[in-house]
Amino acid sequence: MTYDCAVIGAGVMGCTTALFLARGGMKVVLLDRGEICREASGVNAGTLTMQMTRAALVPYALRAHERWMRMPEWCDGGDVLATACPGLSVAFTPHEAAMLEERAVARRAAGAPIELISGAAAQAIEPGLADGVLLAGHCPMDGFTSAYLTGRAYRPALLNAGVTLMENTPVRGIAERFELNTAAGPVSTKRLVLAGGVWLQDMAAWLGVSLPIKVLVNQLVVTERMTPVMRTVLGVASGLLSLKQYANGSVLIGGGWQGIGDRARGGIAVNPEAFLGNIRLAAHTVPALRDARVLRAWLGLEAETADALPVIGPLDGVDDSWTIGSVHSGYTSGPFMGKILAQAILGQAPELPLFPMKRLSVRTAAPGPDAHDSQRALQ
Amino acid sequence: MRAADASSARNGERLAAGASIAMVGGMSLRSTGFTRNPPIAITAFGREVAAHPGESLAAALVAAEVREFVAVCHMGVCQQCLVRVDGRLVQACLTPVAAGMVVT
Amino acid sequence: MMHDIAILGGGPAGMAAATEAARGGARTVLLEESLAPGGQVYRKPVFDGPDDANRRAGDALRAALAESGAEVITGARVWGLGGGPLVAQGHAPFVVSALGAEVSARALILATGTHERIIPFPGWTLPGVLGLAAATILLKAQGVLPGRRVVVAGQGPLLYAVAAKIIAGGGTVVAIVDAASTGEWARALAGLAARPDVLARGLAWRARILAARVPVFSRASVTEALGEGRINAVRIDGRIIEADALCIGHGLVPATEASRTYRAAHVHDPTLGGWVPVLDAERRTSVPGLYSAGDGSGLRGAAAAPFSGQLAARAALRDLGRVPAGPDPAAFARAARAGAAMAGMMALRPALVAAIPPDTEVCRCEGVTRAAIEDAADAGAGTMNQLKHFTRCGMGPCQGRMCGEAASALLAARRGVPVAAVGFATGRTPLRPVSMDTIIGDFAYADIPVPAPAPL
Repeated sequence: MTYDCAVIGAGVMGCTTALFLARGGMKVVLLDRGEICREASGVNAGTLTMQMTRAALVPYALRAHERWMRMPEWCDGGDVLATACPGLSVAFTPHEAAMLEERAVARRAAGAPIELISGAAAQAIEPGLADGVLLAGHCPMDGFTSAYLTGRAYRPALLNAGVTLMENTPVRGIAERFELNTAAGPVSTKRLVLAGGVWLQDMAAWLGVSLPIKVLVNQLVVTERMTPVMRTVLGVASGLLSLKQYANGSVLIGGGWQGIGDRARGGIAVNPEAFLGNIRLAAHTVPALRDARVLRAWLGLEAETADALPVIGPLDGVDDSWTIGSVHSGYTSGPFMGKILAQAILGQAPELPLFPMKRLSVRTAAPGPDAHDSQRALQ
Repeated sequence: MRAADASSARNGERLAAGASIAMVGGMSLRSTGFTRNPPIAITAFGREVAAHPGESLAAALVAAEVREFVAVCHMGVCQQCLVRVDGRLVQACLTPVAAGMVVT
Repeated sequence: MMHDIAILGGGPAGMAAATEAARGGARTVLLEESLAPGGQVYRKPVFDGPDDANRRAGDALRAALAESGAEVITGARVWGLGGGPLVAQGHAPFVVSALGAEVSARALILATGTHERIIPFPGWTLPGVLGLAAATILLKAQGVLPGRRVVVAGQGPLLYAVAAKIIAGGGTVVAIVDAASTGEWARALAGLAARPDVLARGLAWRARILAARVPVFSRASVTEALGEGRINAVRIDGRIIEADALCIGHGLVPATEASRTYRAAHVHDPTLGGWVPVLDAERRTSVPGLYSAGDGSGLRGAAAAPFSGQLAARAALRDLGRVPAGPDPAAFARAARAGAAMAGMMALRPALVAAIPPDTEVCRCEGVTRAAIEDAADAGAGTMNQLKHFTRCGMGPCQGRMCGEAASALLAARRGVPVAAVGFATGRTPLRPVSMDTIIGDFAYADIPVPAPAPL
């Protein structure tokens, strides 16, 4: 048999795309070399905040936030325990306050309901917050999920929609129009969606397309359950901290400090200096965390294009094939991004514009440290 | 998922929450045939308890028959024997007793 | 300071490995979690107590270690592992972080021993229920009885060792509940023929138990611990026996979190206790410079452990370009034969797992029942890592060390695959929960090396 569409990569992007393609009437196969949502989509910090979202992505993140909160309604009961709560982004120094203000203004212009408040006002919202905050961004509608539940939440809905889910089935290559060479034998499909996170670069290469993707190895740390010490999603102006306390009492510490790993080996170890820096920043921001015991640290791989904006749209030069990924704070925006790509593939008008990779195709070398400069030039 | 206030599988939370801590008096659970150091006093969950320097806190609490004290492995693995000593979280099985320590 | 060889764990394998390494001229350091080397079997008693064969064997290993010149760091709560293959590129010296100490070494020998397998049953989380290995520590090292009226249950030689020690210490054993039949014991004891000393010790335990007229239930199991807030009785199949403590264990499991963290290859071998690192004959793991010895690399008992420690140390010395005494795998093999018979008595019994009631907590840290594990298996969880995500099983303070054996057996059975197919949880730093305050220390905010911000 020939599928209408094969989606390669069963993270939140691939799952959402596959789900809405199947609900749109297509016969869909979703393949992953591992298990559903076991890479970045299952191990990220689950932060739903507008204050770490790139300004250009705020309209998408706002819509995705609503979808996370209502997930059981559109995902056949699938639930990631999405919780809405206020979000704070704080500044301890004048330099940070300036950065905070600049960023809050840009995000506010993009639609995020962020207001700037004093340290005292921030402490009234978050009694766990340390003294010494000069300025805080307050977004009343942030929130968080339990990201590890993402695979379990999507799986039944995918099966109900008729998606053929092939976990632990690595794709080794793709022959023309399209025959997938997989560990479970050939899979034939009319259309193709590449949703491989940091492995998108390898997938594009199967089809002869150069799509350089930088790999971020984000570290995460979780504490043991502790008595309530905080009640917001909390970060710092630079975005290098995310903190939240779950209903069970554990506190998740993230922010994108870089661990050790790469595309080939995955995330293999925490970087001790980054681990220490991250938890010091956490304890500086919420002093009660000093009383916690660190339970586990792990890593999630995040993809970034040369301009740090998504690649959601047609794969350059190959008809009937698309990419979706490299969305900054991609988990936050995922359930909306997959839906608009599915709309486009189904011939409908997407609710918001896609991010075609055409803008990147002039670049053939891997992005260097100047990636962010080129982004500013693009804006 | 288990809520924070129901997570009292461990002593630090269970006993500090003011649960019905009972200590059975009477015959010691310290076995015969050992030459122990002279006893010292520690305070465990609001009561004075005798312990011998060198003992682990977990062993002293078992010997004192703190009725609701949980320690499963006595070798640092299970994390069930967590208590606060002078305010700090510690595993009782890896903590030697010291005169005057306050266990909550 | 860079050491040539670091040894993690100061039990019989670790002590012998450190002794051998230092004698071979290597700059050697041994890290041990407790306050004296010895490990669980040869744990140094905190008081002068009754003499026994284990005590003498432990003292001999401790004396040799002290004379060897190896540096010994006790009270080392190791929480961080790095270096080796865990670097951005290539291979680096191993880095072992403990509270208050950090050690770098060109070679690392893991001698991390075992922890206990307890197959859950209703009431197993009640205060007063503890492991058999735990009971031996209480009895031998601390001189404390686990209770006044004690039921001793489970499988393997620790059953009789614990019962005999309780009686010797002046306590009362109200029942011994042995999962094995007398026929199984007869076959296993035949395997001890080469070790008359071990056999004699076992017979002495039996004699003490017989003299105390302790009822022994064979091919029996504890089906429930009863009590409100504390155990007060034990149900043994149909019968209820009053007790204020239950010592129960279903064998020992190699502690492989360090070799998992270093991404060494592992294999599931029930005759060695479960998951063990893949080793060559000289105890090299698949990771260059990383070795594993003692029961942590597969159950072969305390008598065999020093030989495997020596083998590992000699391999490490040779790999570092030194010329140690030749390996003697034969001595290890001889000692291991007796250990293999006892390991067989401690192997996981699928019938005990099958008997876990649906509403019994398997993961006590996170309150995950058998039914929840099987629901997750039906909902598509096929590996232990995925089971964690679906249920939180193994995400709590013990990080799956207490529940992993039962949970993986349940998951595999429900999925209709061998236990090996469901894998194990990825090893990660910290190895044990570690106090944030302790590792953070004092710092100035300006000194936190905050990376460049993400793009706006």
